[in-house]
Amino acid sequence: MIDKINLEQLPQEDLFGPGNVGCKGCAAAIAGRQAMKVLRERTMITIPASCMATLGGNNRRTTWKIPFYHTLFECAPAVSSGIRAALEVQGIKNVNVVSWGGDAGSADIGFQALSGAAERNEDIFHVCYDNEMYMNTGGQTGSQTPKTALTSNAFLGKPTNKKNMLAIMEVHGIGYVASASIAFPADLMAKLKKAASRKGFSYIHILAPCFRGWGIPSDQTVEFARRAVYCGLWELYEVEDGIRKRTVEPQLIPVKDYIFPQKRFSKISAEEINRLQQQVDDYYGKVGK
Amino acid sequence: MAKELPIVPTATPGSLAEISAASSWREYRPEIQEPGKVNPKVLFFCPEGALFHEEGIIAVDLSVCKGCGICAVESDGIVMVPEYTGVLGIFGVKEGSK
Repeated sequence: MIDKINLEQLPQEDLFGPGNVGCKGCAAAIAGRQAMKVLRERTMITIPASCMATLGGNNRRTTWKIPFYHTLFECAPAVSSGIRAALEVQGIKNVNVVSWGGDAGSADIGFQALSGAAERNEDIFHVCYDNEMYMNTGGQTGSQTPKTALTSNAFLGKPTNKKNMLAIMEVHGIGYVASASIAFPADLMAKLKKAASRKGFSYIHILAPCFRGWGIPSDQTVEFARRAVYCGLWELYEVEDGIRKRTVEPQLIPVKDYIFPQKRFSKISAEEINRLQQQVDDYYGKVGK
Repeated sequence: MAKELPIVPTATPGSLAEISAASSWREYRPEIQEPGKVNPKVLFFCPEGALFHEEGIIAVDLSVCKGCGICAVESDGIVMVPEYTGVLGIFGVKEGSK
């Protein structure tokens, strides 16, 4: 079982959050706040082009209270690798070096640098906050967009499946891979703490709904992150040194309770819903606990 | 702050909070009506860090709150109330707003 985080004992001061220029109800900001509760002051963060890069600062103002480096789209893990090397040369120890990308900056445009850093087993960790489309540029389709979801350039719905980034990162042979959700802060923070405590490369993939892209009310951001887990479509687990553990047991609510209220799935067919439900049923039946 | 960390000489940490204009366009604001019923876990769901606790009581910093309503959905004891309850103009715009 993953180490528990006692939410009440966490520091009250926010190292990210107040004054950010994100949309109201932004899940990326929630993920950032939750992360900084456990990563704390001795952290340096690199962020490629993404909502997160924009909402965290502009010109000479920032909401981060740690060193924050806005990188080019393709190279946040490479920049983090360089920062770690520079810290080592200077003999500076005990610093969390984090690259934090969106789904585009991690799974698509930024994948080369991410894969390279993982292969070299750099002593950094990468966080992918996944809102399942390119929301910083108007909601285009990406590899993390689920099948049938409507986007600004997929008017009939995306025809192909979501790329399994966690599996791809796992086969890089890195020490720690985990999925997380903003709706389960204790689980998310425990995984970040574990990634920070380990030597070598770690990867954490956070599902962070975007209410604008998903077509849900702004106050439902956390609720839909929760439903994604409870319906079984977003499994919370970790793979530590090759050992896989599920960290939150889903209640297995009907998949349609997660899918139907989202406007991005307004053209999904009954057959596709049944297929997803069957997929979940088969998966949890076979994998078990 | 850890002073030995190299500081990138551009931005002032946390300075965006000083110029937050969220309250100027917020349509609804959270009101804590029953403090005893508020779930402390809701502190971790606020995107802005607008919720904080002071001597065990959870309060809202309205200078940074954007009025998303997540706190009211995720916890009992909090309700969203309209910022403006007066007469709306013919275009549904509150009087006096630009």
